[in-house]
Amino acid sequence: MTQPLSALRLGTAWARIAGLMDEAAEAFVRTSFSSVVRDNWDMAVGLMDGAGRQFAQSSRSVPSFVGTMPVTLAAMLRRIPTARLAEGDVLISNDGYLGTGHLNDITMVKPIFAGGRIIAWIGSTFHATDIGGAPGVEARDAWEEGLTIPVARILRGGEENEDVLAFLEANLRQPAEVIGDLRAQFAMYDQAAPRLLRILAEEGIDSVEQLSAEIFARSERAMRQAIAAVPDGEVFDAVTADGFEHPVTIRLRLAIAGDALTLDFTGTDPQIARPVNSPLNFSRAYSNYAVKCAFDPTTPNNDGCFRPITLVAPEGSIVNPRRPAPVWGRHLTGHYLPMLVLSALGQLIPDRVVAESGSPLWNVYFTGEQADGGRYVRMFFMNGGHGAAATHDGAACLSFPSNVATQPVEQFENAVPLLVTEKSLIPGSGGDGTMRGGLGQRLGFRVVGEKPVTATYRHERVQHPPRGLLGGLAGRGGRDLLNGTQVAAKARLVLAPGDTLVFETPGGGGFGPPEARSAAARDRDAAEGYRP
Amino acid sequence: MNPERPWQIGVDIGGTFTDFVLLDSRDGRLFNGKVLTTPQAPERAVLVGIAQLLAQHDVAPEAVRHVIHGTTLVANALIERRGVPTGFLTTEGFRDVPEIGTELRHDTYDLFMRRPDPLVPRRLRLGVPERLRADGSVLTPLDEDAARAAIAALRDGGAQALAICLLHAFRNPVHEHRLAALARQVAPDLALCLSSDLVPEIGEYERGTTTICNAYVLPVFERYLARLGEGLRGAGLTGPLFLMLSDGGTVREDVAARHPIRLVQSGPAGGVQAARLIGQSAGAADILCFDMGGTTAKAALIEAGQPERSLDFEVSRVDRFRKGSGFPLKVPVIEMIEIGAGGGSIARVDRLGLIRVGPDSASSDPGPACYGLGGTLPTVTDADLLLGYLAPDRFLGGDMALDVAAAERAIAQHVGAPLGLSAIEAAWAVHETVNQSMAQAASVHALEKARRIEGYAMVPIGGAGPVHACAIARKLGLAKLVSPPGAGVASAFGFLAAPIAFAHLRAMVAPLATLDLDALRAMLAAMQVEGAAMVAEAGVPPAQVETRLLAAMRYAGQGYQVEAAIDAAAVQAGDRVALRAAFEAEYRRLYGRVEATLPVEVVGWRVIVAGPTPKLELATAPTGIGPAGKGHRRAWFGEGFVEAAVFDRAALRPGDAIDGPALVEERESTLVLPPGSTALCDAALNLVVTFT
Repeated sequence: MTQPLSALRLGTAWARIAGLMDEAAEAFVRTSFSSVVRDNWDMAVGLMDGAGRQFAQSSRSVPSFVGTMPVTLAAMLRRIPTARLAEGDVLISNDGYLGTGHLNDITMVKPIFAGGRIIAWIGSTFHATDIGGAPGVEARDAWEEGLTIPVARILRGGEENEDVLAFLEANLRQPAEVIGDLRAQFAMYDQAAPRLLRILAEEGIDSVEQLSAEIFARSERAMRQAIAAVPDGEVFDAVTADGFEHPVTIRLRLAIAGDALTLDFTGTDPQIARPVNSPLNFSRAYSNYAVKCAFDPTTPNNDGCFRPITLVAPEGSIVNPRRPAPVWGRHLTGHYLPMLVLSALGQLIPDRVVAESGSPLWNVYFTGEQADGGRYVRMFFMNGGHGAAATHDGAACLSFPSNVATQPVEQFENAVPLLVTEKSLIPGSGGDGTMRGGLGQRLGFRVVGEKPVTATYRHERVQHPPRGLLGGLAGRGGRDLLNGTQVAAKARLVLAPGDTLVFETPGGGGFGPPEARSAAARDRDAAEGYRP
Repeated sequence: MNPERPWQIGVDIGGTFTDFVLLDSRDGRLFNGKVLTTPQAPERAVLVGIAQLLAQHDVAPEAVRHVIHGTTLVANALIERRGVPTGFLTTEGFRDVPEIGTELRHDTYDLFMRRPDPLVPRRLRLGVPERLRADGSVLTPLDEDAARAAIAALRDGGAQALAICLLHAFRNPVHEHRLAALARQVAPDLALCLSSDLVPEIGEYERGTTTICNAYVLPVFERYLARLGEGLRGAGLTGPLFLMLSDGGTVREDVAARHPIRLVQSGPAGGVQAARLIGQSAGAADILCFDMGGTTAKAALIEAGQPERSLDFEVSRVDRFRKGSGFPLKVPVIEMIEIGAGGGSIARVDRLGLIRVGPDSASSDPGPACYGLGGTLPTVTDADLLLGYLAPDRFLGGDMALDVAAAERAIAQHVGAPLGLSAIEAAWAVHETVNQSMAQAASVHALEKARRIEGYAMVPIGGAGPVHACAIARKLGLAKLVSPPGAGVASAFGFLAAPIAFAHLRAMVAPLATLDLDALRAMLAAMQVEGAAMVAEAGVPPAQVETRLLAAMRYAGQGYQVEAAIDAAAVQAGDRVALRAAFEAEYRRLYGRVEATLPVEVVGWRVIVAGPTPKLELATAPTGIGPAGKGHRRAWFGEGFVEAAVFDRAALRPGDAIDGPALVEERESTLVLPPGSTALCDAALNLVVTFT
C-alpha cells in the first residue's frame, strides 16, 4: 500500500538522489580521457522515471543539457521500443536534431530493471571534441558536419557492440579518447544504478513514480509561485548577432500571466545555410536556463521546474531550424537566448538580472600533426567578461551562460606544439556603467613546431558587442588577429610555423548610467589598471 | 621516554578557546586546560594557559620534553585577509592568471555569484620576460634588468612578501632560482616563496595560488612563531616546539615557518589523530571521525590506522560549503568533508515544503533561541533541547540556563506550523533531517573513496558530536561507536598522538613503459634523504624512521590521477608490472573497472618520511561498582516521550554498563543513547556503544 511521502522522507530521498547524480558525474569526469569533459564539465548525468520524465540531473554541467535527455530518450524509444530492450542494454545516438543540437554531443541511456521491468533510466550526454567529417564554418548542411550515430545499442546485455564501436573507430580522428569516455560512462552506470535501487529501498519508497510525482509537483509549484509574484506584463526585446554575410536578429516577446510565463520568438530571422542554427532542444534548454536563474535558481533541475514555461519558436527560424540545416556552431545563436531573456526581464525585475556577457562562448580547435606523426585535435575555451548587476561590477572572464572552464596553459602546451604567448585582461573592455561590465581577455597562440597547424574558430560579438542594461554601456567587442592584423571572426586558418593567432574576448555590458558610478570605484579601476 | 622530561604538552588555538593537554608519559595521565583565545596576540593565551596548567599540576617547565602545537592562525589569516601585502612575479603576459582563475561558475544558476577578490591586487602582479618550453628547456632567457626593475617596483609598491610562479617552473626551477637571487639583492627584506619549492606540480593557476597564499601568511606566521618560541624559552620550556601539519604529521618550528600553508588545516588534523588514537585504544583501526561543533560538522575516514589524505584543499571560500568558490591549494591534507550542520544551524521550511537545516548558523550571537540572547530562529540545539537531550539547567556545567519555552516557540512557529506538525514532532523532524544529511554526507564521502564503512567505528568529538552520534552511526549501519571523555579538547590531545613526518612531492610525468628508472631512483633517494634529515633534526633515531612511497598514475589521456602505495622494492627491481598492478588495484576500487589495453603514465611521486607513531598509554581507572545515576529525564526518540536515565560522565568507571534510552552528561556535551543502544565503559574511560 502506498503511503504519501512525508516532508522528512521526501527531503531525504531527494537529497540522496541529487547526491547520487553529482557523484556519478564526478566519477565520469575523473576517469574521462578528454579535456572537454574533465576541464569543462561538458557533460550531464540524468535520471528518468519509467515514463521517461527526468526527475534528477547532475548539478554541475553546461546548461545545454538542461532538460534535453527526456526528449532524446523518447526519440530513441520510437526507434527501438522498450519491448526490445533487455537488462544490460545501453542506447546511443548523437543525432543533433534528436539530442542537444549538434553531432559532438553523444547521449547514452540505460534502462534500469527491477522485477523484470524497466523502473527508471539513467543517461548521460557528453561532448566529443572530434566527431569525424569536416565541421567548419563553410558547412552548408548537416551531413558535412561529421558522423551521425543513429539510435543503436552500444551495449547488448552488458557486452560491447563491436560493430558500432568499429564504425566509430573508423570515423573519428581520436577514437581512443571518445571510446575511453564511453567506457568510463558504462562503469558509471554500473555503479549508479544499484545505488538508486538501494536509496529507494532504504527510504521505503515503493516506486520511482511515487518519488518523481512529488518532485515534479513541488518543483512546479515553486516555479509557479515565483512567477506569480511578478506582476503580469508583456515586454519585447531583440538582439542582433554578427552572423555571416548578414547579421541575424532574434526577437522575443516575454509575457507573464498569473503563474505562467511565455517566451515567444516569433519574428526571429529564418534559418541559414551556415552552421549557426540552434535546434529546438538547444534553444529550449538555454531559454529555460535563464528563467530558472531569475526565478528559482536553487531547486534541482527536473521536468516539473519547466512546466510553467511555454516556448514558441517558429519552425524554420534560426532558433528552431528544419533538417538538414547545419548546426555545429548552434551555440552562436543559442547562447544569445538567455541574455535576451534576462535583458527582457530587466524591464520587469531589474534587480534579478545581469547585463549581457562576452559570449556566445569563444573557443578554437587546433588540429595538426605531432612531431612523432600522431594527429591531434585540441580545443581551447576562453571566456569574455561577465555582465554587471545592479549591486556589483561584472567579473572578468567568467563563463556565462555555458559554464565552461578554461584549461591550464601548462597542460595545453604539454599536449600540442603551440605556445601560449599571453593570457591577460584587456583594460577598458568592460562596459561603463554605475556598475562596470567584466573585462575580457587576450590570448595568443604561436606555432612552435615545424609543422603547420589548422585553427578553426567562429566568434560572435565582434560587430555587435554585449549590450549594457538600464543605461549601462556596451562592453568592448572581440577581435581575432593573425600576426597583428585583424582577420575574420569565423574562419579556418592554416598557420605556418612562427605564426601567432591572438583572440580578444568581448567585455561584459555595464549596468545603470555611468554618471552614477562612484568616484571610489573609478579610482580603483585606474589604480589597478582595469581602465587604460 | 626520557625520564628527566616525562611531560608533553599539546596546544590547539581555536576561534573561541585555546585548549591544552598535559600528558605524563610515565603513566599516561592526562590533564586538560582551556583559556580564552587572544586573537590579537595568540601566543599570549598559549603562554598563560601553559603556565596555569603547569602550576596547577606542580610540573616544572624543565620537565616538559616538548610542546606540540596546532593553530587556525594560517587559515584565519587567509579568511580574514590579515596577511602582508604580497607581490606576484610571473612570466610576462600571465600576471592576470590568479585573477582569471578557472573561468568557471561555482554555481551555474546564481547570476550574482562572486569570486573571492584576488589576494594580490593587479598593481602588485607583474610579468618578467623569460620563457620555458613545456619540457622545461629555456626558450627565452630571463631578462635580469627587467626582473630587477619589477622586483623594485613591487617593493616600492608596498609588498612585504614575494610569490614567484613561472610557467613550467615545476619542470625546471632555473629562472625562479635566479629571480630569488635577484630579489635577495634588490629587496632583501621581502619574504620569498617559489612555486618550484612549494608545489612542483603542473597547473599554473593552482601552483600560483598556493605560492601566493604561502607568501601572504609567511611573515605573519614567522613572527608569531618567533614570539611564541621566545615566550616558551622565557618560561623555562627549552624543549623543541613542533607544529601539526594539515596532513597529520608534525614538524619542527623552522620547517613549519617556511611552509605555513601546510598548516591550513592544522587543528582539524589533530582531531583526526585523536580519533585514531581513541579508536585504537578501544581496539578499532577503521574509524569514522565525526566532529560536530557550533556551525559545521566534519567527517574523516581512517582505515587501518591511516587517515585518508588528499593533495587538494580550498581556502577562503566565498560560499563556505560550495566547492570552487575559494582559492585552490595544492597541499597535503587529511581529507575531510565539511557540511553546514552544527548546533547553531538554523532550521526552516523551504519553498518546496521541505525541511532545510543550515548552512547558515545563529552562531553564538544571537545564538539559538534557547540561549535567550535575542535569537528567534529555531536551531539544531533548540530541537535537541525540546527532545530532552540537553538539560536546561546544566548546559556548560550550569553556566548558561536554556530557555525551553523560547525554543518551543521558535520551532513551532517556523517548522511546526508550515508543515502541520506539533512542536515536538517538528523538533524530531529537524533532528532527523540534520542527522540524515550528515549521514548522507559521510556515506557519499565514503563512496567517493570506495570505502565500505559498515565495519568502521565512529569516534564523535566536538560539542554537538555526542548528541547526534548514535543516531547517525545507526543510519550508516555502523556496529560500534567509541565516545571518549573530554571530546571538547580532542584536537590538542591528537597533536601528541601524531608522528614526526614530512611529505615531499615531486612531479615526473612519463609513460610507465619508458619511465627512466635510474633517474627515478635518484630522485626518490634524494627526497628520502631530505625527509630523513628533517626527521632526524627533530630528534628521531634513524632506526625508527619509516619511509612510505606513493605514486600518482593514470591512463594515458586522462587528466586526473589515482595515488597508489608503492613497494619501494618494485622500484628498485624496475618491476613495471607491479607498478601497474598497484595502480589498477586502486583504480578498480574507485571506479569499478580497469582498461587493460591502455598504457599507464606516472605523474608524480610522494615520499613520506615519518618517525614512529607515539604510543600513548592512557591511564586506566579503577573498576567501578555500577554507574551512579542522576535520576531521569523525559526524552523523545520519535514515538512519544520515554523516561531516560541520566548519568554523570565523570562518575563512570570501567566496567559500568548503561542501556539506552539514557543521557550521559559532561560539562561541554551530552552523549545521547537512544533505545536499543548499550554503552560499556572501558579501561580508558571511553564509552563503547553497540546497537541491537
